[in-house]
Amino acid sequence: MKSAMKPHPTPGRASEQLTKEDCLEMFRQLYLARYFDVRLIKEKKRGRLRGTLYSSHNQEAIIVGSIFGLRPTDWISPVHRDMPMFFMKDMRAGWRNPDRMGMSIEEVCAQVWCKSGSPGRARDNWSHIGSLEKRIIHSTSMLAGTIPVAAGVVLADRLNGGDAVVLTFNGEGSTAQGIFHEAINYAAIHKLPVITVVENNQWAYGTPVQLEVPTEDVADRAKGYGIPGYIADGQDVFDVYDKVMEAVEYARSGKGPSIVECKTFRAYGHGDHDDDRAAKYRDPHEVEEGRLRDPLAICRRRLIEKSYLTADDAIRFMAEGKSSSEATTEDFPPEVVAYLDEGIRFALASPEPPAEEGGMWVFKESE
Amino acid sequence: MSAAAKAPESLKKNYLTALREALDEEFGANPDALCMGEDIGILGGAFGVTEGLQSKYGKDRVIDMPISEAAIIGAAVGAAMNGKTVVAEMQFIDFISCGFDQIVNMMATYYYRTAGEVNMPVVVRGPAGAYGGGALYHSQMNEAWFCHSPGLRVVCPSTPYDAKGLLKASMRDGNPVIFYEIKELYRQREIEEELPASDYIVPLGQAAVRREGSDVTLVTYGNNVYHCLKAADALAERGVSGEVIDLRTLVPLDETTIFKSLAKTNHVVVVNEAPRTCGFAGEVVARICDSAFDLLDAPPVRVTRLDTPVPWAKPLESFVLPSTEKIVDAALRVVRF
Repeated sequence: MKSAMKPHPTPGRASEQLTKEDCLEMFRQLYLARYFDVRLIKEKKRGRLRGTLYSSHNQEAIIVGSIFGLRPTDWISPVHRDMPMFFMKDMRAGWRNPDRMGMSIEEVCAQVWCKSGSPGRARDNWSHIGSLEKRIIHSTSMLAGTIPVAAGVVLADRLNGGDAVVLTFNGEGSTAQGIFHEAINYAAIHKLPVITVVENNQWAYGTPVQLEVPTEDVADRAKGYGIPGYIADGQDVFDVYDKVMEAVEYARSGKGPSIVECKTFRAYGHGDHDDDRAAKYRDPHEVEEGRLRDPLAICRRRLIEKSYLTADDAIRFMAEGKSSSEATTEDFPPEVVAYLDEGIRFALASPEPPAEEGGMWVFKESE
Repeated sequence: MSAAAKAPESLKKNYLTALREALDEEFGANPDALCMGEDIGILGGAFGVTEGLQSKYGKDRVIDMPISEAAIIGAAVGAAMNGKTVVAEMQFIDFISCGFDQIVNMMATYYYRTAGEVNMPVVVRGPAGAYGGGALYHSQMNEAWFCHSPGLRVVCPSTPYDAKGLLKASMRDGNPVIFYEIKELYRQREIEEELPASDYIVPLGQAAVRREGSDVTLVTYGNNVYHCLKAADALAERGVSGEVIDLRTLVPLDETTIFKSLAKTNHVVVVNEAPRTCGFAGEVVARICDSAFDLLDAPPVRVTRLDTPVPWAKPLESFVLPSTEKIVDAALRVVRF
């Protein structure tokens, strides 16, 4: 956590080009990501959901800051802790715009509720969805396993004359996988526009970062490939935005891949099944300190400094620092609550997939 | 193969050339076709299957990859989901284990988990098989791993005609294919044959009857097709008429051709080069017992490698592998049951 506490001032930051509306939109998106998490955990506790939830609580600045500046044609490859990313991709084009290059909240909720309205028709769980059309690579449980896939996707894009980049998301633990090395090594040799965002939340399930990574910073791994290794304060949405946009510009100009390490802290368990044990295997002081720098609070402070938020507006919705059981709908902007309500309504009305679909789509039948 | 004998020597092609022609023709016809692998461009492949392709189609389409089987297959998956048809070469099929996760969890499942959204036109091909002194890591037939992973086609040609026709069919199939090339056959003169001048494919999922017979069916694929043919010769000398079926494709399996043969012979020996336990011969026997038990006059018998790796020294290698003699013995046991 030491590095996360350091400020990372960058002169000529991309975020300085953001308009007031952009900054306020990022703040709203942070609320949306937080509310998605808070609300689903409440639903799970009522016994309404199947499977495990992987909370993105306290890591929302990485989700919003990384993808906010992407072009609609860029690709993302989210990991299990990035669930809001599926509906937040290209959200600047309008939350309810059906043509934007991201999933709808309805599709994502149908996936969470295990219904046929899911883009994957509820065939694989939680974050294991994606969309060719929306340029979202389908995640799996094999950590770092989508990095080579992402490399292949942008290879094909480049051969077709495109200039799309891909952001792949990974935990610090997955940087210990062999495929992490193979894929980045390959991408570096061929200068493919693959940006590996590492959400270093200090814990890989029950194992601390010191037992996963031998260096102080995960970004140091970049040195072995001769590529840039950026470090961002993962709690500060604008710092994440700055570092990722630097990496995006580097990649789009043909220089190749990079690693962006976002220092953060996993606020709760690995999944909701692990919350109780995580409270025991982690030092309470470490957890308290890790939750202290809430991305909502940091963004709010930045917006007050810029005078984008003033007077009552600045403190109307105070979700920061609250757990899912402490937070209520009053802590979130009504448009955020309404948006998720729409998604959940759709999910509840969506039918379960018919049983016989379990045997379908093993092979594509010849045309 | 009988046609081969009549063809003029100069027009006959070996198994390796047939594979190269398949790649060349498909690359010519499909501008979205790529191949990726170790030493396949500058060198033209360790065995020369891709020789000349990089100079003809360029470095963007014939891509020299670092020694990273998982990255090769992963990148093939990514390029395929984004519209390319990709042939990924494993320098030896033994090394496919280094890319195992990408094959069974990423490539094989993509169509299923996306409910048909994402096609996976990828062929993972490479030299396979024993009998050449390749020892543990250059002799494997590990097809059973992939037959056991739903979503993969598994193909294994035994003739130049099939090598070309099946590779072309695999590249057009739209599903991921694991393609076993028998390296001992790459340059074998005896099996060279004239290939059609015009475009052709051998459809996946169709077995070939290599020799007709009435007393016992020998079911096999790959290099053991030739051991079975020799065994049928030896059996004929003892008055036993053997029918030889070359499966050509393991997934999907052509059960019809097997059952049709059993209706005639009522006896079966299934031969595979891989280890016995959970090998593909066991699957063939199980299918026969499931669906054609009534046709049998004797229990089916398998001839397989022992449950060992493939050792180096010739006597050791011969000891563990199927041979003509072992097949003859098995066939005689079955018909005399």
